[in-house]
Amino acid sequence: MSFIADKQTLEDLNLLGKYRPNSIFGLFNQTKTHGGGRLLEGMFQEPLTDPDRINARRKTFQYFQDKRLKFPFSTDAIGLMENYISMGARSHFFLTAAGILQKKLLSTFVRDERYGMIYSGLLATIQTLHALRSFIRQLESEGDSPYQERVRALKDFFADRRLDWLSAAARTESLPILQVAKYDHLLKHTFSKEMEGVMEAIYELDLYIAVTDVARSRNFSYALALPKGRNLFKAIDLRHPGLDKAVGNPLSLHGDSNVVFLTGANMAGKSTFMKSFGISLYLGHMGFPVAAKKMEFSVRDGLYSSINVPDNLSLGLSHFYAEVLRVKTVAEEVSSGKDLVVIFDELFKGTNVKDAYDATLAVTEAFSEYRNCFFIISTHIIEVGDALRQRRDNLQFSYLPTIMEGTIPRYPYRLEEGITNDRHGMMIIANEKILEIILS
Amino acid sequence: MLFTTDKQTLDDLNIFGRHGGDSVYNIFNRTTTRGGAMLLEEMFLYPLSDEQSINRRIGIIRTFAGAGTLFPFKSMLFDAAEPYLDNTDERTKLSTEAVSITKKLSNMIAVDVQTVVIYKGVAALVELLKGAHDFIKGVDGGEHYRADKEAISLLLSDPAFAPVLQEDSKGKLSHAAAAEYDVLFRFRHRDSIRRLLRYIYLLDVYLTVGKVAVERKYSFPLALPGDRHLLTIEGVFHPQVKNAVPNSLQITPDSNLIFLTGANMAGKSTFMKSLSIALFLAQMGFPVPAARMEFSVLDGIYTTINLPDNLGMGASHFYAEVLRVKKMAQELSQGKNLFIVFDELFRGTNVKDAYEATIAITSAFAQKRNSLFVISTHIIEAGDVLKERWSNISFQYLPTRMNGNTPVYTYTLETGITADRHGMIIITNEGILELLKRGKLEMLERDKAQIHKLKAV
Repeated sequence: MSFIADKQTLEDLNLLGKYRPNSIFGLFNQTKTHGGGRLLEGMFQEPLTDPDRINARRKTFQYFQDKRLKFPFSTDAIGLMENYISMGARSHFFLTAAGILQKKLLSTFVRDERYGMIYSGLLATIQTLHALRSFIRQLESEGDSPYQERVRALKDFFADRRLDWLSAAARTESLPILQVAKYDHLLKHTFSKEMEGVMEAIYELDLYIAVTDVARSRNFSYALALPKGRNLFKAIDLRHPGLDKAVGNPLSLHGDSNVVFLTGANMAGKSTFMKSFGISLYLGHMGFPVAAKKMEFSVRDGLYSSINVPDNLSLGLSHFYAEVLRVKTVAEEVSSGKDLVVIFDELFKGTNVKDAYDATLAVTEAFSEYRNCFFIISTHIIEVGDALRQRRDNLQFSYLPTIMEGTIPRYPYRLEEGITNDRHGMMIIANEKILEIILS
Repeated sequence: MLFTTDKQTLDDLNIFGRHGGDSVYNIFNRTTTRGGAMLLEEMFLYPLSDEQSINRRIGIIRTFAGAGTLFPFKSMLFDAAEPYLDNTDERTKLSTEAVSITKKLSNMIAVDVQTVVIYKGVAALVELLKGAHDFIKGVDGGEHYRADKEAISLLLSDPAFAPVLQEDSKGKLSHAAAAEYDVLFRFRHRDSIRRLLRYIYLLDVYLTVGKVAVERKYSFPLALPGDRHLLTIEGVFHPQVKNAVPNSLQITPDSNLIFLTGANMAGKSTFMKSLSIALFLAQMGFPVPAARMEFSVLDGIYTTINLPDNLGMGASHFYAEVLRVKKMAQELSQGKNLFIVFDELFRGTNVKDAYEATIAITSAFAQKRNSLFVISTHIIEAGDVLKERWSNISFQYLPTRMNGNTPVYTYTLETGITADRHGMIIITNEGILELLKRGKLEMLERDKAQIHKLKAV
């Protein structure tokens, strides 16, 4: 079963989306080939839920990160090669040769372009294969991860005697037509299956190198996936991967302390902290590098967040009702017995104070019973925190502080233990001098 | 002082709407002439700002609507006259000299397009002038229209137009006459013709608006001097809501701030829009969707109903609201008499900030007795505090009646602060807490069963 993260969650965390500014996908999307980009998209769309597979992929990434490899192909050559291989082949060598001869003649007499395309495609393919052969010599092939299997298959392929001509051909300036026909037939017909594998291997290399380049430059690390039953999440120096000067915070969750009750002023960084947690967990399930110094997590079934719930006024839904429906969706999932991670930012703001208090308290209390799930719930209603403290023992209370320097607030973005009453709504109004303007 | 409003308000009230949409402008946009449509748009863009001109326009429209006067011109005439008048190229003048035989011959075979336009334009204007002359003679239009009427008479009494008015309506224009009028219309008395057309377009607007008022049962408001700060409105309804429920309201300097509460679907926004649209139309000197209305002339209308909140971060929507309030504050501090509407003030922040900010801002507004405010909020707790502090706040609410578990809305204003709190009811109705409790029990049962099994093994 795949890891669950619905549309609302993906949007809250800005995970997917090639064309959305600052999306996490965009952060990693440094691949040089289209195929590499497609692989990346696939991984983003389907995070894993099996700790062994996650750890295998993580190890592959780690291996590439340590090796510090450079993508050894030119993107133009890859493009030509993709084109060339997709052209298809005849079943018999004589047909291939005849076809190539015919195109060669046509190109001489009527300037037909097809021979030129075959010729340059073949040359690009030979160059790429040559580069690939020398590249995989430096790669480890012992082991049972999918990538190591791939390397073994490639090494076998290049060991084939029928490819002995490769290095000679890669060095020559021009190929006689008979050799063009021979190699064309060999690569497109005899080795058609292997060539598909070669393309995929190139895309994978592209992906591994691109992702680990990002991880290296941004100081990301790799998270250890643990079996579900361990029921824990532990991270040191957890940051938002998209921010350059993000401040790291530690976070530790387990069955006896599975709810974080988060308070803090509007700009103090509550949402960012919650997003950092959600994004790292998602990336962790992909086996991807995460923005933390160290992280380990029990595999979960899914992630639900409620950070920017849009009101749907066209459907006649108020903001409050939209939030209620969102909470209901999450409640349905949680009560079905799944191990989930749930993020609620500032629930029930579209209603009156009393209702918001009652609703936040009742909902938090009910959710916190599910020790197999992790929750981060932020609110400004600190009274809810006091009430919860008396009734439940599995909550941890954290806040993001604000330090006032005169009337200017400064935010250290470092979690502290406890509950804070910081609010700045009135301060913003005071700073804008609105009351003075009205009464002047 | 000019009447002011802004894009946010026009969008909130859907005054112009998107192209071809269901806007307020489109209710009235049924003029016969395109010139009339343009004038109508101008009136929507620039509402009036003094009581006399408002009452004058209302008076004219009311008189024509009462008399059921019909627009006396065909729209075809304007289609011919407008492009003709736009052409000011001297070289296209119809020549009075004898036409050469070649030209006559070529005209018989294929008429020069430009000449045809000019001929048609001249003929159309002759008809328009004569029509206007007849209309002015026949129509009464009441005291308010007298100035317009006299102006049209004066324009037409110019001796230069005398032969035009005596032209036989049946016969075809002779070439010589056409050439003569061409010079008259397009060059020598061009301004008079333009002015006359404008009066005709205005007439078109008055008659169209009057017709709409009769059809839709709108009433004609009465404008009062701006310094009285009064608004009396009875049976105001939203022009675009089917079977809209009418409401009545009175605002005086002793109750110039309406604090509106009510559940989410109870119709707060619709009521605020109805009231604002009525005031906007009244300020234009137009009939309003209400049974009766008297209002003090305003210097501006500002509403904040759907403040765009696509700003991504949570803090930003609150900040957008703060900036909006600041803008209102700046306008108010210039001593203007404004009508200000805030729907769900400070919904972009947490309830506690919203509570404090609502009290602070509403208190400050309440001290501006020369403006009218309507503020809606879901933070009913703020109302209790405000009630103690200010005597000039009028508390109104839109009730919700619970019919078992389903809410029923009357859409009729009542006095007071609603005690309706549906937050927990909605959560209970959705069964969220039961869902979680049941799920937990089932999980425990499953665990128990598992333990039993293990023990058995």
